[in-house]
This record gives sequence, structure tokens and C-alpha cells, in this order.
Amino acid sequence: MASMSPHLLQPMITKLESISSLTEEERYAVENLPVRVRTHQSREDIVRDGDRVSQCCLILEGWAYRYKILGGGRRQIFSFHIAGDIPDLPSLHIPLMDHSLATITKATMAFIPHEAMRDLTYQFPRLAAVLWRDTLVDAGIFREWMACMGQRSAYDHLAHLFCELYLKQEAVGLAGEHRCPLPMTQADLGDATGMSNVHVNRTLQEMRGDGLIILRNKTLVIKAWNELIRAAEFDDTYLHLRERTVG
Amino acid sequence: MSLHLQPVQVATGSADSDSHLVFSDGLLVAVLVHLSDQHEEEAGMWYLEAGFGPISGPDEPPFVNLDAAQAWISSRLATRSVRDRGRH
Repeated sequence: MASMSPHLLQPMITKLESISSLTEEERYAVENLPVRVRTHQSREDIVRDGDRVSQCCLILEGWAYRYKILGGGRRQIFSFHIAGDIPDLPSLHIPLMDHSLATITKATMAFIPHEAMRDLTYQFPRLAAVLWRDTLVDAGIFREWMACMGQRSAYDHLAHLFCELYLKQEAVGLAGEHRCPLPMTQADLGDATGMSNVHVNRTLQEMRGDGLIILRNKTLVIKAWNELIRAAEFDDTYLHLRERTVG
Repeated sequence: MSLHLQPVQVATGSADSDSHLVFSDGLLVAVLVHLSDQHEEEAGMWYLEAGFGPISGPDEPPFVNLDAAQAWISSRLATRSVRDRGRH
């Protein structure tokens, strides 16, 4: 465990500030969390279903996803995560994992001991509220995914997911001008949306044919933002990022 | 149990249209679609576009050829008939 240079945890600061502004004191406390930094290769499990954990994993760089393996090796992906996210934050209060967390790309993670995280939230109740709010937004994203899974067509569902992933990245300065990294495979998109690889492929080609998007070399280029939003019936309220995305 | 295949064109909304209806004992149990070149490494394979009764369920990966697809469908039907016999 090493003490940190102030800039190391900037992705967490940026993420927290996308939810609420921080005081100098709060920022200092976050920057001085005792963390252990580790780089993981792509497609590596960080924590597994059934593990009992004593630390939270903050993504400093790269992408990760939550998933669960079902009978016959089928995989359901629950969420995608980018720098600044703490995908296993719930483990702070529910340390027994009921799903797994793995990297998509090579990724740098900062592991924050639960004890330090707990102290932070005791000393700074406003930070606790920001983290709580983040988990509530997380729950809102789950509700949107559920609505997409159950009620939207393949086309509208993928359009919705692309709007969400673009705005999430834009909010923390990782995307702009309707272009963003999208490192997941078609199989990942399929396992996240309940579609087969064949359906994902057909749908992406249809969207490209309609001039909405181009997905190439792990980059999403949104050619027609308004049309994409319309197709997805996308309303970004559930992301609660308005302050940063307006203008 | 023998399967009977009937060629058909399916409107999948893509270049994949050459297909077969698959019948078992006169009942439609599946629709297999031949994957076009737009699928790269899966091009030329057969995709279970729809399955009925014992063949329904989560998506299956495409089959390398029609024989493999029929073998899988037959085994699913056989598993179900054994289960049904056990129940009666």
C-alpha cells in the first residue's frame, strides 16, 4: 500500500464532481485515500461471484464490466464501466459478491480498502451522500437496461445503449464531438442486450445503413445524434448529468 | 423421429434470407437461416432464427452446417420425448 500523488485519483474526483461539487477538504480527503494500484490485462477477472471482498475497485484507466455466468456457460453482462467508476462500491456494505467484475481492455485499477472508504464516509457525510447518489444513478441505469431488454426492439435498444455510453464518457471528459471509445466486442454487446451475435451484427449494419453510426476500430462515431436519440426515445434524465452535458 | 426440411425465404431485415423450415412429424419446430457474407467468420453457417416447443430457448450459436443443426434439433426433440415419457 502506498501513499498517493494527488493526481492519481483524479478520475474519482472528476466522477464525484460530475455528481456534486466538492470542497477543498473533501477533495483532499479523497486524494489521500490509501490505495494500491494494479494494472490488469484485458479480459481479467477483478472479483468473482461468491468472493468476499475487503476493498473497492476504482477504475483509473480502461474499461470493465459486471457479469454473471449462468448454466451452460451463458453470460449476462449487467453494466459497462469507465474511468472514475467504482463498480463494486456496493461491496462496502455487501461484501459477498453476487456477480463478477472483469476488465474489457487493459486497465489500471486503484484498490481502496473498505476501512478507508468507511472512514471517509464517516468523516465526510456529504461525500457519503455523493457516493450514495452514484449508486442510485447506477440503479436508474439498471432500470433503463431492464426497460430496453423487455420492451425495445434490437435497433432501439442498441441506439439507447450507444447514447448512454457516449454521454457517460462525455460527462467525465473521455468523449466529445459525438465520437467515443467503444472497446467491447459484438459478443459483449449481445450478452449485455440479450441478443445473439447474429442479431447484433444485423442491427449494427442496419444502423450504419441508416447513417446513424459507424462502429470501427473500437471507436463509435455518431453521425446523426438527433436521429439516434429519436430512435432510442432517449431521455438522459436517468443519468443525472444535466449540469455537465448542457451547452 | 425424422426431420423434413422445406426451403423458404425469410424476411430477416438483412441479407440473410435463404432459409429452411424444419418439420418433425409434420409440425414446424424450427426456422434455420443461412448466414450471408455480412457475418464474416460466421458467414455460411446456419442460424436458428426461431425454435418452437422443445427447440425454443435462449439463442444458440450458429451451426457449421445443416447436418449439425439437424443433429442438435433431433437431440433436443429426443430429450424432450424421454422427459415426456417419464412423466406419463
